Amino acid sequence: MSSLGQSQASDRPTALSGRLLARARAHSDQILVLILLFAIWQALSFWLTVYWVGSPWGVVTRLYDGVVNGAILMHAGFTMSEAIIGFIIGAIPAVALPFLLRRLPIATAILDPFMVGGYGAPKLALAPLFILWFGIGIESKIALVAITVFFIVYFSALAGVRALDSKLVQMAQVAGANERDVARHIVFPGAVPYIFTGFRIAMPYSIGGAVVAEIISANRGLGYLIQLSAMNFDTTGVFVALVAVTIIVFVMNGVVDFAERRLLHWRPASDAKMQSSQ
Amino acid sequence: MSTQTLLEVRDLSKRFASRESRDAALWVIKDLSFSVPDGEFLTIIGPSGSGKTTLLNMIAQIDTATGGEVRFKSEPPAPISDPKLLNPGLSCRIGYVTQEDNLLPWRTTLQNVLFPLTVQGRLNDETRARAQTLIRTVGLAGFENHYPHELSGGMRKRASLIRTLVYDPPVILMDEPFGALDAQTRAVLQEDLLRLWELGRKTIVFVTHDIAEAIALGDRTLVLSRAPAKVIGEHRISIPRPRDIRGIMSHPDFSALYQRIRAQVQ
Amino acid sequence: MTTQDTALDLAESAHLRWRQYAVLGGRIGLAILFFIVWKIGAERAGPIYVADPVLVFQRIVTDTMSGELVRHVYVTLRLSIIGFAIGCFFGVVLPFVLRRMPRVTAAIEPYIMASVGVPKYALVPLFILWFGIDDAPKLWLIGLLVFYPVFIAVFAGIRNVDRRLVNMARVVGASESRISREVIWNSLLSFFFASLKIALPRAVSAAIIGEFLVGNEGLGYMIEYARQNFDTVGVFAGIVVATVIVLIINAALVRIDRHINAWRPVERDMQL
Repeated sequence: MSSLGQSQASDRPTALSGRLLARARAHSDQILVLILLFAIWQALSFWLTVYWVGSPWGVVTRLYDGVVNGAILMHAGFTMSEAIIGFIIGAIPAVALPFLLRRLPIATAILDPFMVGGYGAPKLALAPLFILWFGIGIESKIALVAITVFFIVYFSALAGVRALDSKLVQMAQVAGANERDVARHIVFPGAVPYIFTGFRIAMPYSIGGAVVAEIISANRGLGYLIQLSAMNFDTTGVFVALVAVTIIVFVMNGVVDFAERRLLHWRPASDAKMQSSQ
Repeated sequence: MSTQTLLEVRDLSKRFASRESRDAALWVIKDLSFSVPDGEFLTIIGPSGSGKTTLLNMIAQIDTATGGEVRFKSEPPAPISDPKLLNPGLSCRIGYVTQEDNLLPWRTTLQNVLFPLTVQGRLNDETRARAQTLIRTVGLAGFENHYPHELSGGMRKRASLIRTLVYDPPVILMDEPFGALDAQTRAVLQEDLLRLWELGRKTIVFVTHDIAEAIALGDRTLVLSRAPAKVIGEHRISIPRPRDIRGIMSHPDFSALYQRIRAQVQ
Repeated sequence: MTTQDTALDLAESAHLRWRQYAVLGGRIGLAILFFIVWKIGAERAGPIYVADPVLVFQRIVTDTMSGELVRHVYVTLRLSIIGFAIGCFFGVVLPFVLRRMPRVTAAIEPYIMASVGVPKYALVPLFILWFGIDDAPKLWLIGLLVFYPVFIAVFAGIRNVDRRLVNMARVVGASESRISREVIWNSLLSFFFASLKIALPRAVSAAIIGEFLVGNEGLGYMIEYARQNFDTVGVFAGIVVATVIVLIINAALVRIDRHINAWRPVERDMQL
């Protein structure tokens, strides 16, 4: 088929120049698509009116204004702090637990069905309960994010601790390492890649969870902005908030990627590919 | 060379339980005995398989033994049948160069070599200098800050070798350390090893399946049988030191030694 | 030697059995502890914050018997399945369509990947604005949440097809559509089922949360309605039912997955 045909083309001797050409063409195509999308959006906003679609230019100006006068930044700050604080509160015990229970495989075995249950259960369904308990402020959102992140990161950290290469432990023991040395020099560094995979998976859930909880009930935050704009039939406002949320997601992903690259520069490329697909 | 026995293995036995079948489980090693005087380079030849590694694992106290005893110097025998009482490396007195290099992937070459000193709390200027010397001696100078995945197989082997040498244990076990390397690299490393050994005359127990290697390196060679393994031959290597690794086969004593050992290897 | 053998074997299997009992006992103990803590929490924190477990279970029973609960659960599940089907359909079909248009694929790929970063739940108010307050916005939500994992899995599965199998099939004379149907489909089957395991529970969760935000029927509506009336027992009851349903679905999927993977190796041999 054509995609396979394309791969056959890259097997020919002119592979490198052929690939570069294809890449350049793909990039220019992508820019074309972007311009096209904007054009279609702008056309729709004239045709279907701003009520339905908002206007791309309106979004850009409103976003700029919102940043300049600080309104967007304030709401974004709330959402981000809910996501980050909740993430930290959820991630710390999730990482600590597998380490603490490392020498007690019975404990992890006993916990397993509860953890699997917690992982599979819809945490977002707890949103009304947390709002009942903590009110409509940031605490209920933090709680929701924390519990969502906890179960995700727990399993990744558990996998990391279990992926322990016993040969490395034996080597360290022969060289004179005690339990603490082994935990610090062998178990922990070996588990870090897995933990980061867990972070990467949990990150979008932390922001998504904060936003959903805000949509359900809140008086500040980007989710609240989305809901408020929608109720006022201010479609442009909805898009502004959505763009802000998406930007935050990208920034946070970038932060996690950056941290991962710095901490894991010792990792050979093949391992990195293998672990990110888990 | 003093004649004090540094390591003694007596009637060592190991049986692996089989979970599925009700048949008799496999006795890998049965009533294996030998002793190693201080400063001797002992080589052990055996057929390829897990018997040799199991033997070294038991001496290094990584695995339990089903029977027999292991003694270091004149100390009481180590409790090797109880997994809870195992003392890997016998408190850093038995070093172990395993088949896989077991370098920590998140540490640079230098950090890996310093690792035993770090966990033993012996890291200081003197030991650091010693590590640097060893790195230079095996030709890894310039690669101190590389990560294991950036090194070739031979280089990783060298790093794992000097990682054990750096803390100077009295006994060093080696499990076919050069097996996975090409002939050229293997010859170079064998020369490096002998050169390092000459400097300190440590007691070495070197396991291999390569008869020529066993003759080239050792003062004495033991031959093991197939499972259940025990010592079925002992040969003193009369070739004087320093040895010429690459030309070892043309030494007059080599041929006869080789034939005698070959006849015993099953 | 044999007596030594059997003694060691017996010791090992006894140890294993003891461990199994210990784990089972620990789990039961933990579950009991959970209920005790719940009960104490209900007494200490008061009926507004923590509902008494006994009352919660009573409520579940009465609501089931009156048919109320069954009706809401049915509505939610129906919504989930329809949304799931829609999302699945596009998630499977689109990659195959895109396979034949590599240039288009290369052009839009970054935007698809970027759109993954948009939290789909954040789009619900927009959907309500566009599609009204009936099932439509919820179906869009569920459809999208199902579409993405399925699409990505099938897309990756097609890309990762072992080219040697495809070449082999070509050599023995298989047509392109035969290759699509047999080699590619079977290769991506494992990716596809892995994505289903994620997507189906997601569909149910999405239905419930969609019902928090819009509509007057379904499990999510029940929970949110109870919250707004400070009917904590109702909130707990709804959450318990929702959790149990999703966990049952998860368990069923794991069982099916195992069953499917059981015959796959055999089927592969027959292929070759």
